[in-house]
Amino acid sequence: MKEAVRIQQEDFSQDEEIRALQASSKRIGGIATFLGCARDFSEGREVSEISFDAYGSMALSELEKLRNDAIEKYGLLDARIVHRIGTVKGGENIVFIAAGAEHRVAALEACRWMIDELKQRVPIWKKEITPQGEAWVTPHP
Amino acid sequence: MIKVLFFGPVAERIGHHALQVEHRPGIRLQDVRDELAAQYPQAFEIVCFAAANGEHVRDMSLPLADNSEVAFMAKFSGG
Repeated sequence: MKEAVRIQQEDFSQDEEIRALQASSKRIGGIATFLGCARDFSEGREVSEISFDAYGSMALSELEKLRNDAIEKYGLLDARIVHRIGTVKGGENIVFIAAGAEHRVAALEACRWMIDELKQRVPIWKKEITPQGEAWVTPHP
Repeated sequence: MIKVLFFGPVAERIGHHALQVEHRPGIRLQDVRDELAAQYPQAFEIVCFAAANGEHVRDMSLPLADNSEVAFMAKFSGG
């Protein structure tokens, strides 16, 4: 089975991640997921692809801490986080987060918390590649 | 030596992904930052975070051991 936290170039399967989460515990009563995708339009410009750079070892360790923190904070039964790096084309998947809990509220809140925290503390940067040129993305709140 | 890493927009402004700074007794993270910021002011304009040996560091007075790995980073934009 694939690791629960991964950084990888290749695309991922949401179904596979959800199956892995479900397989971790039969006590799970609710799974909340977040899928981040590459938009093909940003700041009034067409975006053909997005290129990611990461401080790989630190990003992975921060994602692992983030998952552990979420499990503890929300009493999750399990959680999974997969983030792509390299080049991602418009419409493709970037990040997938899944939180499994006994009840829906913990799963939904934990999922929202994990994507918000990921943006604050995981050293990954995205650059939008447009027909007019390339630009590093300024973080959105 | 201290290995200094740069990523994304900071690496682009510096023109390198890594540099080395000579280690000296008592050197602190702030000293490395000051030294490099003087050489690469445009890159350090966008530096918001620092890390030492793969961990976030908020206290820039952290003393650095020889062979430390540090990073000066712009705001993150993953996700």
